[in-house]
Amino acid sequence: MGFLRAYRIYGIILIILLLASLPFWASRYWILVALLFSLNLGLSQMWNLLAGYSGLVSLGQQAFIGLGGYTLAVFSIYYGFPISLSILIGGIISVLFALLISAPIFRMRGVYFAIGTWTVAEVLRIIFSNWKYVGYGMGLFVKPAYKLSFNTIYYTALFTGIASVAIVYFILRSKLGLGLMAIRDEETASETLGVDIFKCKLSCFLISAFITGIVAGILYLHNIFIQPYSAFGIDWTVRLVFITIIGGIGTIEGPIIGSFIYVFLHQWLSEYPSVSLLILGIIAIAVILSAPRGIMGTIQERLGFEILSPRRK
Amino acid sequence: MISILSELKVPIVNGLLLGGLYGIIGIGMSMIFGIVRLINLAHGDFVILASYFSLVTMSLIPISPLLTLIIVIPAMCLLGFIIQYFLLNRTLGKGMNPPLLIAFGISIILQNLLLLIFTPDARTLLSSLSVKTIPIGSFINLPTIYVVDFIAAIITVAFLSRFFNRTYMGKAIRAASDDDGAAQLMGINTKTIYAIAMAISAGTAAIAGVLVGMTFTFYPHTGPEYLIIAFGVVIVGGLGSLIGTFLGGLILGLAQILGAHFLGPGFQLLSGYLILLIVMTFKPTGLFSKG
Repeated sequence: MGFLRAYRIYGIILIILLLASLPFWASRYWILVALLFSLNLGLSQMWNLLAGYSGLVSLGQQAFIGLGGYTLAVFSIYYGFPISLSILIGGIISVLFALLISAPIFRMRGVYFAIGTWTVAEVLRIIFSNWKYVGYGMGLFVKPAYKLSFNTIYYTALFTGIASVAIVYFILRSKLGLGLMAIRDEETASETLGVDIFKCKLSCFLISAFITGIVAGILYLHNIFIQPYSAFGIDWTVRLVFITIIGGIGTIEGPIIGSFIYVFLHQWLSEYPSVSLLILGIIAIAVILSAPRGIMGTIQERLGFEILSPRRK
Repeated sequence: MISILSELKVPIVNGLLLGGLYGIIGIGMSMIFGIVRLINLAHGDFVILASYFSLVTMSLIPISPLLTLIIVIPAMCLLGFIIQYFLLNRTLGKGMNPPLLIAFGISIILQNLLLLIFTPDARTLLSSLSVKTIPIGSFINLPTIYVVDFIAAIITVAFLSRFFNRTYMGKAIRAASDDDGAAQLMGINTKTIYAIAMAISAGTAAIAGVLVGMTFTFYPHTGPEYLIIAFGVVIVGGLGSLIGTFLGGLILGLAQILGAHFLGPGFQLLSGYLILLIVMTFKPTGLFSKG
């Protein structure tokens, strides 16, 4: 294992180079697969940051996905803003919304937090589907995105996917990460030792809202069409939960493996999306019952091998 | 003032009657939350699964939807027992998240199974009750199905309350919920008790499902909508009291119908959700809880 550990940095660089060079040698199909992988990785890594490291089991990530997508649509279509700026505003609006709801939502704990975040997303769904400005339930076509080449969208998605992994990695190695792990191990003791629990959890909530909003913007460059029922639907979070649980909740590598499995199953069974969700559901339940730390968590436990260790040496 | 009241009498009466149905949707979830300390995220899908069970039964034997309960209740009880005994019981004592996420997984599996078998088409349980109305003098015309929902809710609450207070099994379930360690020392097998509690909960979901199917249209993906309603009923009504759950249902039903009346039908669900969020923020133990 020492061999693997010494060369893991080269492994990471190799994988990134492989993904980055795809447009030069792979078919459009494989670039699409890598695009979906990157988007799912970005979104699920943010759910992992919340549920796996901060103890915030959110079922309302679709609120930020919808906000990010709709901001891109509204600013680029209605006001002719550049696409990159529209996506960035989408992230900022997601953070502002997260900040707005954090006061009531952080009074809720555990299951209440889960249902509370979900209900907030449902409220947004109802508001957007009754809002004339965004075309009611009919939705909007993100026409300006047609100007972009497929490769541009792919590189943006890939960059964000990798960035999300890096962000979680650096958060965990920062003071914030130290606080989070202290809270996870012993909440009361960490508080008496001066860890500001509320501030730690809020920071994660806001970071996750920002990245989720940005990734959603890129996602809707690819999807082109946004509509409240799908944008604010629970299906997004279902996907993120399955990806993270199967890959390994509370590990950085978990969402990477999980996204890979998800995209593979999804493409393989692309004509039967309900079958792939059915299979993912069964795998997820089996994982929770027999290997609750997921694929990567179990590997780490058995072999002591981590690709991206949040621990300081 | 009087004119406002007479204008509002129809939505108020309808809201209260609908609240009875909401109570019955929430009561099984409240039981499991109280007894097993589990939020069953699949409860809404249990309700819709029961609607589909009833639909299948009606296509095999041409009977009224209400009579299909003879078959649907035992089927749902059995399913609830199996799910608790073989899946959820295995996560007991492993913290809050594993059972929550398993129930979430079951919810997604049920939805996609229903989607595969029954396609995404809208369904309804047709019966002569759905179209009739009951005139109460010249005062108001009540939709018969809403009255049936309400009466069924009262019967279910009365039945459950008798069961928990009078029978040995009911007392054993309450004992296991109060202190599972002590209950085990008294010779109660708490794992079996939890499975029986889930069976009863799924049985109430069966009643709710048949009533929902007779009152509204349903799709494979309608479950989560009723899950949030059920959760709202549990939260607003507070834990541990059947009457509180019933009152929680009435409040949510009333809020939704009045919301639809004042803001338009698109906002019917919104007012219920807002009440849920407000109660969770300011009094998460529920409006009718003691202490």
